[in-house]
Amino acid sequence: MKMKLKLIGATVSIVLSGMTMNAQDGASLFKQTCSACHTIGKGKLVGPDLKGVNTKRSEAWITSFVKNAQAFGEKDADAKAMITEFGYPMPNQNVSDADIKAIIKYIGENSPTEVAQTTETAAPVVETPADPALDPANANHDDILAGLMLFSGEHRLSNKGPSCITCHNVLHGDLIAGGLLAKDLTKVYERLGAAGINGMLSAPPFPAMAASYKDSPLTEKEIFQLSAFFNDAAKNTIYQPQRTYNDNLLLYGGGVAFIIIASIILLMFIERKRKCVKEDIYKRQIKAASSK
Amino acid sequence: MNVRSQISMVFHLDKCIGCHTCSVACKNIWTDRKGAEYMWWNNVETKPGTGYPTKWEDQEIYQGGWVKNGDTVSLKGAGKLKGLKNIFHNPNMPVLDDYYEPWAYRYQDLFDAPEGDDQPIGRAVSLITGEPMEIQAGPNWDDDLSGTPDYARKDVNFKHLSQAEQEAMFQLEKMTFHYLPRICNHCLNPACVGSCPSGALYKRGEDGVVLINQERCRAWRMCVTACPYKKSYYNWNTGKSEKCVLCYPRLESGQPPACMHSCVGRIRYLGVMLYDADQIQQVASCDESQLVDRHLDIYLNPNDPAVIKAAKANGIADSTIKAAQNSPVYKFVKEWKIALPLHPEFRTLPNLFYVPPLLPAMASVSADGIYDTVSEHLLAGVEKLRVPIRYLSSLFTAGNDQKVIDVFKKLHAVRVSRRDTTVKDVTEKQLSTVMNEAGMDVHTANAIFRLTSLATFEERFVIPAAHREEAIEMLENTGDYKGSTGFGFKEKPARGL
Repeated sequence: MKMKLKLIGATVSIVLSGMTMNAQDGASLFKQTCSACHTIGKGKLVGPDLKGVNTKRSEAWITSFVKNAQAFGEKDADAKAMITEFGYPMPNQNVSDADIKAIIKYIGENSPTEVAQTTETAAPVVETPADPALDPANANHDDILAGLMLFSGEHRLSNKGPSCITCHNVLHGDLIAGGLLAKDLTKVYERLGAAGINGMLSAPPFPAMAASYKDSPLTEKEIFQLSAFFNDAAKNTIYQPQRTYNDNLLLYGGGVAFIIIASIILLMFIERKRKCVKEDIYKRQIKAASSK
Repeated sequence: MNVRSQISMVFHLDKCIGCHTCSVACKNIWTDRKGAEYMWWNNVETKPGTGYPTKWEDQEIYQGGWVKNGDTVSLKGAGKLKGLKNIFHNPNMPVLDDYYEPWAYRYQDLFDAPEGDDQPIGRAVSLITGEPMEIQAGPNWDDDLSGTPDYARKDVNFKHLSQAEQEAMFQLEKMTFHYLPRICNHCLNPACVGSCPSGALYKRGEDGVVLINQERCRAWRMCVTACPYKKSYYNWNTGKSEKCVLCYPRLESGQPPACMHSCVGRIRYLGVMLYDADQIQQVASCDESQLVDRHLDIYLNPNDPAVIKAAKANGIADSTIKAAQNSPVYKFVKEWKIALPLHPEFRTLPNLFYVPPLLPAMASVSADGIYDTVSEHLLAGVEKLRVPIRYLSSLFTAGNDQKVIDVFKKLHAVRVSRRDTTVKDVTEKQLSTVMNEAGMDVHTANAIFRLTSLATFEERFVIPAAHREEAIEMLENTGDYKGSTGFGFKEKPARGL
């Protein structure tokens, strides 16, 4: 009986503490889940500025968008316009409704009411890291090389996370072709900027990437080195051997190869002497033998 | 004029008795080996018949030989583009069943079988798999018209004959056949050499023997397809192609090839011919109606001083020129013009000539079924032959009947002349009529008779010296071996040395 009570007590306290944590932790949830791509009142990053989103959209709208932006975009015109504007749908976020509620609350609390109109249309804010030594623009050759090594997996990430090349490709003369599972990162620096990359790498928003680095986050230094490498790679793309890999390569390449091989085989067989010249004789022999 | 020497042959088909001694002699010397069991470099076929490999003459099946292509000739089944397309997969080759699956018998079983109620038997076992097998075909199962519906009636040469002519050949009373022994023709324009992607085949400069370099052969087997006579064979054990070598080791030591040496009917003649190599392309690509004439014209008269001079300028030895002057082949082919090439329409310019068989001319069966001697004379005219001339012309003259008739008139004249000499029942008028028709005199008839019937070994085979001493001097300094020949020891003697 005592035991039972203890168990119930423990369960209740865990649920409660979970609830309170969620409610209180809008800030940390935002940082973990959203901040890689979004700001509140600091302008566009990868995704739109979320300032005042709590008033602009209903909670249901936001929940649907966050959970599956693509599917929602097919039903909702506003969502579709949003996706078109930013070029790609927001990755599906594995967060609970309560978490979303907490985040919305956090956004509401932190949205400044009077913000200059210019901020909304401002160019992507490139947040300068606190330490100027960690600005990729200031990186030296060694940092870029270190980033290359980390990307290609020649040097292991210090927390034993998987190397970027497993899923990503960067067009670079010193690299072998990378994975086709995730986005090509050749021009990622132009797309996201240092702050975007920093956000993505410190708190990956994509489910597969988040899962991969959950227990093995990248260090600040590694993020800096990778950013430096991405910066360099983006700048020097035109000097790289033109080698583009897209998802259809295998499909089209395989199809073409199949047609070529099939036609060669066909060429071989089309003129083949198909039967032994004695076939008639043999058949007659067998017939004669079996009719006896 | 680019004079070269060529070992050529004549087979006199009237003398062939179809005993296969030649085939067996060849087999025992050259092809009684693993991988070569199915090969018969020399084989004897019965005509009409499908031959070996079955229907080898049908180039629509096997795509062998050359075809006229404007001013030149191109290979029917091989060549640069066609060859490349088929290089990993040669589509027109005969398969083993087109030859036959070779077999032997378990003879030892006859001795080892335990005592029982039945006779012991030696089962047939395949020489390819080593397993017991049901024998389905042999290399000469069309022999003596056996299996006629299966073999003789499917003779490829019948496509030039009307249905009535074909039927006539199979009337029991009119039935006729002859043998056709075949070896490699060592052609002047060999399709096998032209087809080889590895350059493994070559025609020997000194005597024109066509050989396959076993070290360079890479088993593309283009030669197997390209040879219209199907005389290049693939050895499945060594992975190399092989063909008749005209027993060149025997030739070099002054002996005739084994098939010729062993020939019971003494049908075979071998000698040197001089020919003009500059004409090969022109002749091979000339119009089909001229093929035989132009082919025979390519051989030069070895007694012509201009030819002798040109031959010497080309490095042909005096002994070879002398052999060419005494060549029995030259007499049959050029002087008497009674020997013809086999299937000249393949355009390989073969160097094996056949004296066509003067098939039963003495009698026929009348409409009443009465065996008749045709005329009051025992030797009836050429037009009374049982065999349709068209059949022989499709074998030997690419369809030119007149050429076969011309030869037969001469052969017939020789017989009439001999009858006049021995039996003396031929009137002078008859003799002169026959001779005039054949365009021959009694002297020539006697010469033909002598070389056909009475020729000695040395007259049948005029083999030039190989001059190997000169050949080796081109490669090595023979002086180095002076003083090192003679007598040696396998084991060192205890004392001395």
